[in-house]
Amino acid sequence: MQKRIVLDLDLCCGCRSCEAACRVAFKGEARIRHGDIAGVAYLPLACKHCKQPLCLASCPVEAITRDENTGLVLRSANICIGCKSCAYACPFGVIDAPLVRHISQKCSLCVDREEGPRCVAACSSGALQWLSDEEIERHEIGMRMVSKDLFFRRKA
Amino acid sequence: MKNIDPKAITVKKALCPFCSFGCEFGVVFNDFGITGVEYISKGSSGGRLCPRGSAAAMYLDHPRRLSTPMKKQKSLEWSKIVKELKKVVSNPKNVAVTFDRNITLEEYASIIGFCKNAGIDDISSTYFEPETNLRSFLPKAFSMTEVDDAQLVLLLGDPFNQAPMSSRAIIDWKLKDKKNELVVIDSINTHTAGFASRFMKVNVGTEPLLFFALAQEKIEGVDITKATGIESSVINDVSKAIKGVKKGLIFVCLPFAHTYDPRLYAEGLARLQSFSGMKVVPFVEFMGHKGNQNFASIIDKVKKKKIKYLLNFGELFPFYYPQMADDLRALNIYATATLKYDGYNALPVPLNLEKDGTIITTFGKKNLGGNIEPPSGTKSINEILSLLSDGRGKGEALRPPEKKVDVAERVRRLAEVSVTKKKNLRLVGEKVAYNFLGFFEGEALKMNPRDAAELGITVNDYASVTSKHGSVDLPVKLTEDVGKGIVAVPAETPSVKGLFEYLIDSGDNTINFIPTEVKICRKE
Repeated sequence: MQKRIVLDLDLCCGCRSCEAACRVAFKGEARIRHGDIAGVAYLPLACKHCKQPLCLASCPVEAITRDENTGLVLRSANICIGCKSCAYACPFGVIDAPLVRHISQKCSLCVDREEGPRCVAACSSGALQWLSDEEIERHEIGMRMVSKDLFFRRKA
Repeated sequence: MKNIDPKAITVKKALCPFCSFGCEFGVVFNDFGITGVEYISKGSSGGRLCPRGSAAAMYLDHPRRLSTPMKKQKSLEWSKIVKELKKVVSNPKNVAVTFDRNITLEEYASIIGFCKNAGIDDISSTYFEPETNLRSFLPKAFSMTEVDDAQLVLLLGDPFNQAPMSSRAIIDWKLKDKKNELVVIDSINTHTAGFASRFMKVNVGTEPLLFFALAQEKIEGVDITKATGIESSVINDVSKAIKGVKKGLIFVCLPFAHTYDPRLYAEGLARLQSFSGMKVVPFVEFMGHKGNQNFASIIDKVKKKKIKYLLNFGELFPFYYPQMADDLRALNIYATATLKYDGYNALPVPLNLEKDGTIITTFGKKNLGGNIEPPSGTKSINEILSLLSDGRGKGEALRPPEKKVDVAERVRRLAEVSVTKKKNLRLVGEKVAYNFLGFFEGEALKMNPRDAAELGITVNDYASVTSKHGSVDLPVKLTEDVGKGIVAVPAETPSVKGLFEYLIDSGDNTINFIPTEVKICRKE
């Protein structure tokens, strides 16, 4: 995959702009969900497009496929029967169990949009970023979660 | 014959009118209609867009969009309703004209001019929300870059949820230097509070008292710690910090029905401003227009049967304040509207998103653009006014009588209210961008687990919330974010907004929504 969605936990303010952008673009599907670890962090749950996706393995009708060239794990709306197997199989809880129009809510990384995913574009605080592997290597992310001192990683 | 290309899209630029930030974005159309929004990276928010902005596409394409005038829930031709209205305004002493927050400056001038020409004296804004009191703090030209060299930022309320576009500059500033101090004042624990260097969790509605205390104002006979719940040592520390700061900013996001005395809130802010020298920047849902003082006199005249007709211009009133129905029952109401509602005569108008005109934002005046075509069948406010009166002119701004308030008396009254033991739970409102008009999800009631346990309410339960104005069933979310004795709900839909009590301020005749006592029981 050339680029991926990266979350900087230091920045997320829990406004759910990402989820709203997704729901508007995909007619009610919240393909990115929003979690809240009480008192610690807000956590947008974006699909990781795993190399060995369990959602794909669990799909009884092969509605979910992995594109070997792009690394995208995509669901076909025409084939999906809404059995929710993918939602229960996802180890990260990214796929929301309730169905929308009788199909599962599976992220496609906005393949229809050249500039990248809408959730990243909408993100009000800049917590969601669209980065390549090299950019991720250079980037310190999310130290607030593991630090007792809030905002530890940004040195004065 | 036109060939339809499902991939061909048009992007029309729009200015988001849903909060004072005024973000720019694109509305995406294809041959079948609106498909969504696009993020314009050169816009004022750098292309970012909060849930309200994203919801714009849903609002434009709403299934309940109104495109014909309605009377008693039946469609009516424009010519017939205009004829009726002409007859109504021919007797101007019987008529009051109101306007809600969704009008442009040009429309405002036209409405005032129309009233002047028609001889209608009873004119009022229906911008009843507490944030209307913040209008006097609107800076002429504010830029978020001013945050960069601040040493201390005071956040009042929950701007990261209410106006999320403010978050990036403030969080970046906070992370830049460990010396940068972010102080948050609120009565409930919010996402914004999670970022604070110091969070001052005040008792519900007592923020104004804390402002006076922080400004080192003497409040005789008031135990400030008992009233606000904040230790005096903490108040002194923060007071010293804000006094000594070279550059600081106070961002205000006054939530719905959070304080008993919004006028005192504004007075307290003014004292804090002059004490610290910090600039006050309001982030509010809409900027609205002056003059809600006059509405109290309209209610009075309605009760005395002196006014029989009400003409409202805007998008929401009277549909969004069902608790006012009792006071307005004797009236025959004609209201401009964008969505279908029951109970009033409705005139279809364009949304602000579809208008060309000027609105006031935190960053100065901005033009709406008018790039999006409104539905056929709608008429702009100026068109309606032209149909009613040939000699429409530009009127002077509405100047409601300025009444001075007795600050000392109000402080004592608020301190008494805050320490009086309440029999029932108190409901406060929140403004959360994600809950905007209930487009993405309905409201949920935030409740302290100890209160819930006493009432036999557990996780995933529904509760009936009853005030003197009505009752609503809501899903319950148990959280320590709200203190014992307090319940909070995003006040977005008319049914929930309708629960809140309103108060006509005896000092300046403004109408304000206040924390409301409610009875709560588990819904079987």
